[in-house]
Amino acid sequence: MYGGEGNRVTALDGVSLSLPTGSFTAVMGPSGSGKSTLLQCAAGLDRPDEGRVFVDGAELAGDGEAALTRFRRQRIGFVFQQFNLMPTLTVMQNVTLPLRLAGRRADKAAARAVLERVGLGDRLGSLPSELSGGQRQRVAIARALVTEPKVVFGDEPTGALDTRSARDVLVLLQEAVQVYGRTVVMVTHDPVAAAHAGSVLFLADGRIVGHLVRPTAEQVAERMTHLADEVERQRAQAGV
Amino acid sequence: MRTMATTARAFQPTLLMIAWHSLRRRAGAFVASFLAMFLGATILMAFASMLDTASAGDATGEARNTLVTMATVVGGWGLLLVVFAVTSTLTLSVRQRGAEMALLKSVGATPGQLGRMIVGEAAGVAVVAALLAVPPAMLVGRGLLGLLHGTGQVPDGVGYAFGPVAPVMGLGITFASATAAALITARRATRVRVTESLAAAETDTVRMSRKRMVGAGLALALGLNLAVVTATVMRGKGSDAMATAGQADICAALGLALLAPVIIRWATGLLAVPLRALGVTGELAISNLRRRTARMASIVTPITLFTGIGVGTLYLQHTENAAMDAAGLAKTAEQKSIETLNFVVIGMIVLFTAIMLVNTLVAATADRRREFGQQRLAGATPAQVLGTVALESAVLTVVGVACGTVASLFTILPFAIARTGSAAPDGGPGTYLAVVALAAVLTGATAYGAARKAIRPAAVDAVAAS
Repeated sequence: MYGGEGNRVTALDGVSLSLPTGSFTAVMGPSGSGKSTLLQCAAGLDRPDEGRVFVDGAELAGDGEAALTRFRRQRIGFVFQQFNLMPTLTVMQNVTLPLRLAGRRADKAAARAVLERVGLGDRLGSLPSELSGGQRQRVAIARALVTEPKVVFGDEPTGALDTRSARDVLVLLQEAVQVYGRTVVMVTHDPVAAAHAGSVLFLADGRIVGHLVRPTAEQVAERMTHLADEVERQRAQAGV
Repeated sequence: MRTMATTARAFQPTLLMIAWHSLRRRAGAFVASFLAMFLGATILMAFASMLDTASAGDATGEARNTLVTMATVVGGWGLLLVVFAVTSTLTLSVRQRGAEMALLKSVGATPGQLGRMIVGEAAGVAVVAALLAVPPAMLVGRGLLGLLHGTGQVPDGVGYAFGPVAPVMGLGITFASATAAALITARRATRVRVTESLAAAETDTVRMSRKRMVGAGLALALGLNLAVVTATVMRGKGSDAMATAGQADICAALGLALLAPVIIRWATGLLAVPLRALGVTGELAISNLRRRTARMASIVTPITLFTGIGVGTLYLQHTENAAMDAAGLAKTAEQKSIETLNFVVIGMIVLFTAIMLVNTLVAATADRRREFGQQRLAGATPAQVLGTVALESAVLTVVGVACGTVASLFTILPFAIARTGSAAPDGGPGTYLAVVALAAVLTGATAYGAARKAIRPAAVDAVAAS
């Protein structure tokens, strides 16, 4: 899906990966492991100094923010830890905003359908400040899905939520993959959240140091605990 | 119980420390208030030094009168504008720190403690601003006296004096108005409950307070009163009508500026259809204007004052000149000097409002970095963000200019009636268009420049830094 990541020594170093369409991948690693940089480069929010990014066969290229924005609009959806909804817009307006900004018709029926799917069909006229954290994040998911993007990126999407709201959000992301065939990439530090994904990538010191398929929360937690040892072992093997 | 009391006492110096750190680390948030106080103190002290000059420099008779009138009348209006400007910028800076206040409240700061913190900060800034304003005030005061010497209204023998009235008044008034403004702001900021604070920081659709409505009503009534007096009592009394007429527009502009939130909401409703036709940027502009009326009103205020006082005074002078010409009278030296002085004084007030406009707009826009970041992450190109800002500025300019024009009529129409018997003012549309164009360019250019700067950091960084 995307690949070829070479970045600043401090952030990402020689990371190369490709993710199949319709997969749900969690990216884990300690703070400073480069997971946020990986996500931002892959999502076209930041540009790698070296390396290339492809989404759905199209290369992320072009100069300037406007070009990047146009690229993202058609292919990428985001969900952030801090929701990042526009405070002055209603739920409905927030969800249709990406469509309107892209010059597409604001398909109200489609937007309403997505909002009903995330369980907010009755809050269309509310402002974000009138909603709970979990509700706001569900609006953000609806906003990310309404443009029918190929990939949805989540940067700690459950980081600011209680366990129950977090579970709702994760189930919605799973549904996006299983029912609607989207590709989801999510950065998280919570093993329980990671266990909702189809596979988990472990990142440390800007490198991929491990991979788990169909993980359980216990496996993920166990792997995280020994990540430091693993990095040490791999370094020794590489003869550094 | 005992521990709680101890904690509360221990918290006092802590809050003072926070206030101090806040001042040092976030100097940016205080720049606008500082500038308002600094410029205000400069103008206040420059005019107040005329009182010092009158008493120290053995001026007598007419010369003494001129100096005292200048200090009290012009200084009085300056005072009102300064209080207005300081309140407006201070409110803005406190509102910008809504999240910080909510945080302090959530860790246990009482409203009283927060209030003392806000007032303490404002008082500190006021003292520094007033002290720094002393040298420029002396320069301006000297210039004013030089002008009075030049026109022969004050004999050359009367030398310039600064103090004790000027520094005492300057420091006292700046300090008092800053503290009073901070008290008003603090009451409003701290009354909100913790959970509401953050929400209120994001949108401010708070209803206008009764006090604000009463203030607006009083200012408009006073303006109307001055206008009626000009048109009736002062009718046929020649140039003397300038005194009442010249003040009517200031009153009316202040009144309309106080009503700005209501007027903005009303105007947005009126302009909603054409704005929507412009697409998504228009719609974003509408929602910002509707849901952030308090912030938008703080920008409309200086536009209204600038246009109202500028247009009013310029046409007042046009009409006066035309009346003199019609009567076949050549202006005496004294009348000419009054004209010059008029322009200098009004020029200073208009300059002050222009600086306030730029000042307020820069502060208000810099505060929107996060919001712009969110808009960009939702898929807006830089051009779309700037387009939204441009449309908002256009609406604010239209509202401010409209209010200012109405306010200027409080001066222009009655004076024309008093001086020429007909309500039609003299002087073509050129002057009006020039003032309006200046207001539009100032607003547009400042908003555009500040917004460009606000979208320079990457969107993810802009959203993360709060």
